[in-house]
Amino acid sequence: MTAALLLIVPLLGAAALVVAPARHAKWIALVASTIAFVLSIIMAVRFGPLWTSREFNQIGWVGLIDAFGIRLSLGADSVSMLLVLLTTMLMPLCIWGSFSSITQRLREYYGWMLVIETAMVGVFIARDLIFFYICFELTLVPMFFLIAIYGAENRARAAYKFFIYTFTGSLIALAGLLYIAWQYAKSRGYHWSFDIETLTTFATDMSATEQAWILLALLAGFAVKVPLFPLHTWLPLAHTEAPTAGSVVLAAVLLKLGTYGLYRFVIPMIPLAVVEYAPVIAVLAIIGILYAALICWVQNDMKKLVAYSSVSHLGFCVLGLFALNPLGVQGSVLYMLNHGLSTGALFFLVGMVYERYHTRDMDQMGGLCNRMPVWAFFMVFFVLSSVGLPGLNGFVGEFLCLIGAFTASADNASYPGVLGPWYAAVASVGMIFAAMYLLIMTGKVVWGPLKEPGGHGHAGASRAHGSTLPADLTLREIGVLTPLAILCIYIGVQPSPITTVLGPPIDRILGNYPETVERLAQPDLRPEHDVIQVSGIEQGEPAVSGHQHYSGGADG
Amino acid sequence: MNWAADSCAFFAAVQPLGQLALSHYLITSAALFAIGLIGFLSRRNMIIMFLCTELMFQAAAIAMIAFSRFHLDVSGQVFVIFILTVAAAEAALALGLVVLLYRRRETLNADVWSELRETPTP
Amino acid sequence: MADRLPMVDKLWFILPEVALFLGVVVIFIMGLSHSKRVRDMLPMITCLSLAVAFGLTWWVYEGSRGQTLLSVNPNLMLMPMVGKYVKMSACAIGIILAMVSVGSVDRRLEAAVAAGHLPFDPIRANRGEFYAFFLLSLMGVMLTCNANDLIWLFLALELTSLPTYIMVAISRPPRVAQEAAVKYFFLGAMATAIFLYGFALLYGSTGTMILTEMQRAFAAQAKADVVNSFGIIGMILAMLGICFKIAAAPMHFYAADVYEGAAAPVTAFLAFVPKTAGMVAIILLLTTLGWSGHPSTGLPEPIMTTLWMIAVLTMTLGNLGALLQRSVKRILAYSSIAHSGYMLIGVIAGPANNGINAVLFYLLVYGIMNTAAFAVLAALERRGQEIETMEDLAGLRIKHPGMAVVMAIASGSLLGVPPLLGFFAKLYLFIAGIQAGQIVLVVIAGLNTAISAWYYLGLVTLPIMAKPSAQSETIVRSPFPWPRIAGIVTAVAVVVLPLFLGPLIRASQAATTPASLTTGVTISK
Repeated sequence: MTAALLLIVPLLGAAALVVAPARHAKWIALVASTIAFVLSIIMAVRFGPLWTSREFNQIGWVGLIDAFGIRLSLGADSVSMLLVLLTTMLMPLCIWGSFSSITQRLREYYGWMLVIETAMVGVFIARDLIFFYICFELTLVPMFFLIAIYGAENRARAAYKFFIYTFTGSLIALAGLLYIAWQYAKSRGYHWSFDIETLTTFATDMSATEQAWILLALLAGFAVKVPLFPLHTWLPLAHTEAPTAGSVVLAAVLLKLGTYGLYRFVIPMIPLAVVEYAPVIAVLAIIGILYAALICWVQNDMKKLVAYSSVSHLGFCVLGLFALNPLGVQGSVLYMLNHGLSTGALFFLVGMVYERYHTRDMDQMGGLCNRMPVWAFFMVFFVLSSVGLPGLNGFVGEFLCLIGAFTASADNASYPGVLGPWYAAVASVGMIFAAMYLLIMTGKVVWGPLKEPGGHGHAGASRAHGSTLPADLTLREIGVLTPLAILCIYIGVQPSPITTVLGPPIDRILGNYPETVERLAQPDLRPEHDVIQVSGIEQGEPAVSGHQHYSGGADG
Repeated sequence: MNWAADSCAFFAAVQPLGQLALSHYLITSAALFAIGLIGFLSRRNMIIMFLCTELMFQAAAIAMIAFSRFHLDVSGQVFVIFILTVAAAEAALALGLVVLLYRRRETLNADVWSELRETPTP
Repeated sequence: MADRLPMVDKLWFILPEVALFLGVVVIFIMGLSHSKRVRDMLPMITCLSLAVAFGLTWWVYEGSRGQTLLSVNPNLMLMPMVGKYVKMSACAIGIILAMVSVGSVDRRLEAAVAAGHLPFDPIRANRGEFYAFFLLSLMGVMLTCNANDLIWLFLALELTSLPTYIMVAISRPPRVAQEAAVKYFFLGAMATAIFLYGFALLYGSTGTMILTEMQRAFAAQAKADVVNSFGIIGMILAMLGICFKIAAAPMHFYAADVYEGAAAPVTAFLAFVPKTAGMVAIILLLTTLGWSGHPSTGLPEPIMTTLWMIAVLTMTLGNLGALLQRSVKRILAYSSIAHSGYMLIGVIAGPANNGINAVLFYLLVYGIMNTAAFAVLAALERRGQEIETMEDLAGLRIKHPGMAVVMAIASGSLLGVPPLLGFFAKLYLFIAGIQAGQIVLVVIAGLNTAISAWYYLGLVTLPIMAKPSAQSETIVRSPFPWPRIAGIVTAVAVVVLPLFLGPLIRASQAATTPASLTTGVTISK
């Protein structure tokens, strides 16, 4: 029942905030989110052998709603477990990190933070479609309020745009998912079931036309959230207007709901359509990578830059997913975690500067390493991690995504794909761009002669704004950043535990692909024994990482 | 579904100078109903508008009685008695409201009462 | 024709209405009392009679006598158990509505009497009438459920509507209330005439007034593949006329004006009570035709097309209309129109696809969430006047945090944001629609929901987030606490009831249980 508790504890915290006095609000929120983190650790430990299981294992049950086939049951595989851990780890940091920046309407702020935690965790551990959708939509409400109440001057527009975009998108996605549920119910004499596993198995047998429509509907929901190239316009606006912790949550977890949706629904449910349209989606992802990177290049606003870099980075994530081989998907999932850590940290860092100088304009500042050496250290560290320096976390995910796309050509024996070297080559230009814009930002802001905004020294600025913050980071702020930095290093040097546990569930969701790709590529020429070989690999030993699949495939 | 053909056959059965049949009553009632509806939509005097709704009520009543005779079933006639009662209640209500409005504005023109309307958006 | 029923059996099921009628009589008399204390007890008596009717409904349907009557006579009523569900929800929401209406009628008169400017004059007092008509109109809804006869149905619908015309007129002193009443009355009378004519044609087509027999007659016609054109035209006319009650296109034009003109509690009443009566009436009438009694897959084609067009037009016009408004009441009026459109999806889906359950459930949910929104309007005032425009709501949070939150919750639920109650009601409807294969309709409804996000978000953000304007600074709480309490109760219900979704849905399913409905044919002789 840890899973159910994990959902309930933040809500209880939020309920406590309603009655508690405002001065205790932040502590209540911090305690509640820390308890949730501890619970998620307990859940992860008790998950035990299931870490390497292929299935989406049932881990709990909230039997509240029991009507028209909706059952609130909870489950997890290693992917969702890792994302839950990422969420619960980030939330206390976000709450701790906003101690100084949020000065009014405290109870509401922390209340919404806790509600969004429940919603995000719920998305990752939902086994029921409707429960998934409820949580998916529920994330909108707190984020809407966080942006609209605590945002910068353009907040109302940003919040509206965010809400309308994602609400419309997910309604359409719901329509697609309900269509599957309907077809399922129809084939079972109208016994509705919203069990994701059941529907997934069912949906793979639908006709190609149906699958294409479903793909379109699901993309409307998930691609908006990711965001994929033509649908990304809400994101920079929302990011720039949101408060720091809001941006962190948005970048680190909320965007992952989109990629998680792609991973959980689109890839396993509708293989025919995915194989057919993967190149299109990959091209959109690559356009997003390059286009957003170019925008980053000309940004003066640090926060906007980091926001657009999210669009660019998530493009890699999508590219990896639609490589349709274990390497790419592993890279993509790893990238979700890494992006959460590094971009989350970058938003924290930008927020810390903003709290001190009340501007994010890079032209107005420079040489901050003289004034804030600790901040500068973390800034350089996370920029390097985000750029993908080998030895830090960003590298592993990005590399796997690109390798995945590179090897996803039709002549790959074990996991033939529909992308190929060209896709990887063009996308890797995005990596170079990323290095350039992020390093240019670092160069402008961190190095060089000291230049502080508004022509006044920092001490004067802090007095003028009534801020009690010292010039450099406080212990609290260092405490927020340090865990993220440690994780970045850990994943950078030792990714194999994670890639190992990612292997089995990814094998499962890709189960249909080698065959589908083959069938669509050359309908009749496929010899029988190759199919047998493919299924042999599918059931390969759980500990095998995708890398070995790849080399095995290349040898064969 | 042959309701279109069905109604054609029905109107073909109408004989202008023959014996009075169900169709004659129905045409009368339909005409009354149409006159009432058109009158309601085109006139602006509140009393006349109300009378037009009464006309529509009576059209329904005529149809009821005709059908009642046609089916040899009295319940249609019973319904008519209730229709008359309700029409009387509505008349009382209508006159009450019209008098109320007349006292305020000294006119029976419905167009005078247009405080409630769509306002152009700012 | 064999089982002509003793009237007494039917009367057993209107015991709750009889109780309400006793309440009406008491209230009429008490409203004339010279003692202020007696007059102030009126809302309480209203709530009390509704509570008694609530209990009686349960007893009448669940008690052994009711069960026996229903099992002995399957043809007693067309949809016997609908009554239990609708009557109980009408009573429950009626209690809330009565709380919202405390203090809205006769306020000036009572103040003058209390200040001693004026002796109490029973001729000028309207409060007794108001609450009596309030109960009578609810009685109309409750009687509609028991209708097994076109005459009964007609009288019940009229009983629902006639009192509301007067309630609008006396709800508040300004001229606009009377203008609203006249508009409402005249269009209502026209709509009545239209559905009455439809009834006449239905009677002509089948030769009977009794709905269960009419169902058999239509089934026989359908079997021979000749559904009489009178039946089709009559059904369409009846539906168009009843569209007025549910504020559906093409009879929706009055809604915005009337809702704006009437006092907020009466508007809340109008948005729930006639809508429920109309929906039940449409369901009853369509049941006679039988969703699957016809050789084609469902309702006859012309009826289906008409309903489909009404549904699409209603939701689209409602939502687009609401985008253009600045007055809160007009927004809620258009939202009420749009919600009727959503409900028609369930009607189109029919009982075989849980559509009717979904409609019944949606009616209850809509009653709760809509009353919450109107309770906020009733609980606030500026110099004794109701608040009107969106700007009045701006920054409500500063001075009236509770009401701001209630407004936000109600609007969120009306929009259908999970996990609020409105979401589940809408989901249930959409699932029913999908099950019936009405994908296009459901997609249109989904897009409409997306459109509606725009104005509902305005109702959420303005009270919670905007800075108070000069206008909203002058808003104070009304001196009566009851509307506030009603708002808080309904808002809590919107948040908490999803936890009891299972039992609620099962209750709505029980309302349509006898399987005769789904087959549409009960020829058992």
